[in-house]
Formats: sequence, C-alpha cells, structure tokens
Amino acid sequence: MDKPRTDEDQQLVARTQSGDAGAFDQLVVKYTPRLYGLVYNMTSNHEDTNDLLQDVFSKAYKAIRGFRGKSSFYTWIHSIAVNMTLNFLKKRGRRFQLSLDDVDASIQNDKEFLELTATSSPVREADLSELQRRLNEAMMKLSDEHRAVVTMFHIQGMPHAEISKILRVSEGTVRSRLFYANRQLQNYLDEFRKNPVA
Amino acid sequence: MNEFDDNEIATLLRLKRHEQPPPGYFENFLHEFHRRQRDELLRQPLWRICLERTHNFLFQLNVSSLTSYPAAVAAVLVCAAIISLKIYQGPEAATVAVQSRSVLSATANGEGQWTLSSPVATRVFSTQPLRESSESAHTHSRGSGTPPRYVLDSVPVSYEATFKF
Repeated sequence: MDKPRTDEDQQLVARTQSGDAGAFDQLVVKYTPRLYGLVYNMTSNHEDTNDLLQDVFSKAYKAIRGFRGKSSFYTWIHSIAVNMTLNFLKKRGRRFQLSLDDVDASIQNDKEFLELTATSSPVREADLSELQRRLNEAMMKLSDEHRAVVTMFHIQGMPHAEISKILRVSEGTVRSRLFYANRQLQNYLDEFRKNPVA
Repeated sequence: MNEFDDNEIATLLRLKRHEQPPPGYFENFLHEFHRRQRDELLRQPLWRICLERTHNFLFQLNVSSLTSYPAAVAAVLVCAAIISLKIYQGPEAATVAVQSRSVLSATANGEGQWTLSSPVATRVFSTQPLRESSESAHTHSRGSGTPPRYVLDSVPVSYEATFKF
C-alpha cells in the first residue's frame, strides 16, 4: 500500500488549521479506508472499529492545531489510531467477538489468492474461509503489540521504517516482533492443519 | 504434509485486505462523524464553548505567537517589578511611622486614654514601665557602700514542683 502524497496532506492540514473544516473532511474521507483496515485487524470487531475510528478523527481534529509537521500527517494519524486502539484493547482485555470473518467475494478474483490456491498444498487442503477464520483467531492470540506490527507490515504493507516511526520503537524491535509473530502464526495454523476439527 | 512457510502466511495475511465493512459504510462515515461532533458540542457547558471560541479567535489573529514562553516570562517579571516598587515606595508606611511616634510622645506622661484621632477608635496605653531596669536587676538588698551582687536562682520558679512531701 503506497504512502499518500504528503504535500497534498500538508495543504489540507494547513487549511484545517486556518479554520477550514471542509479540508479536514477531505482528510477523513481519504484516510478512513486505510485506518479502518488497521483498526479492524487489531480489534476484529466492526462496531469497536467504528467507534474507535470516530474517536481517532475527533481527537485528531481537536489536536490538529498543535500539529507542527515534524512527522507527516500520515504517520501522525496512524500513531493516534494505533495508540488509541492499543489502549482500547488493554481495557477490553481478551474479550472479543469476531464480527467480520467472512472473506469478501472479490477475493476469488484476487491474483494472490489464485496463485496461493494453485501452488500451496496446505491451502488447497483446507477450506479457505475456514483457514481465514483460523487465521483471525490466531491473530487474536498474538499480543496486541505483535498484532499491530503484523497488521501494519503484512496487511497494510508498510515498510519497517514507517512502522518504527508510528510505534516509536527501533526498526530492530519491529523486525524482532515480526519474526516472533510469524512463528506464532505458523504454529497456530500448523496445529489447525494437523487437527482440523479442533 | 507440508507446513506453512513465511511466504504463505504473508500471502494469507495480505488477503485480509479484502475484509471490508458493510456496503455504504465509508459513505456514511463522514455524516456520522459530523453528527457526533454536533452531539459533543451540545453536551459541552457554555463556558467551555466560549473558551474554545475565544481560543479560535485568538489563533486566527495569530496572537499565539505573542504568548510564547519568553514573552510570558518577561511580562510576569515586569508586573512583579512594578508591584514591588509600589509596595516599597507606598506612602502608607511613612504615615504609620509618624503617627505612632506622636502617639508615644503624647501619652508618655498620662494614663491610658481613648483617642478619636483616627477613623477607628484606638485605646492608647501608657508605655511607662512599672519598674526601672536598674531596679529589677537587683534581687537582694544592698548596702550603700558595697557593690551590687547579682545572684541567679539555680532553679526557675516555674520549674519548682507544686507538691513537696
């Protein structure tokens, strides 16, 4: 997923800071789908994601006057979203409800999906929707910090450097968390493949 | 049986991008955002709304640059200097000193009396001491030719026990 042009964001931010609420609306429209994917894959619940996203943009709107542009708006809004989601998950604890585990029908035409089902024997063996459900469950077994890194790297396609800026940790920490999370996910999915009814 | 490798897991995770909210969600999101903003505004107390509007007004006038920390500190220092000068050079202190001197001189020979010289009636007490300091210093009788003897009690009166058996 490509990083959006920052000069366009800067102009919108400057207009918002000078009192143009319509400019902030454009930022909301632009970043909602991207942030939805981030927050949803960390919470696995649509209602929670919706409430969190509303709160994220509300907080960003209140704080945007203090935004000095030391980082890009992209990094800034993602930092707010990740931090608010992590705080929410700490309060929520392990109680969660998967609300959106059905894969969209458009996936059947996805190039990666076709390649995966054609070449990968474990995926061929397992029903894909069941595999996706198990993957969601495996994701929720990761710690919140590890899930955040997996979501940003694998699902959102962010580079390590960007993730380290958003989380304010070193790139080494990001790589380490990714490695550990991949091993965890691999173990969970292998377990499912060996015992599909479990 | 093969195991999942990193690439397959990465590909499976990338497929999660296809998980989407209900249709029309993104179109309605902005309306929902505006509605929540309005609700939040209506729930706020009046003083907070006024404060925010004042803040916005000042921000638009770019007054915020004037209220930087150095300017604020300088303003506080100037105010403190002016206030301290007023306190030290104020006329009230001199007036009080003169008045008290005159009162002492006027009542040195007389008994305590009431005066109406000031708006608040004050009782002026005689400042004449009961004994001269030279008298109070001698605790024993002395002869006319002998030098005075000064004896300090070993135990202060207040420390003596009330009952003795």
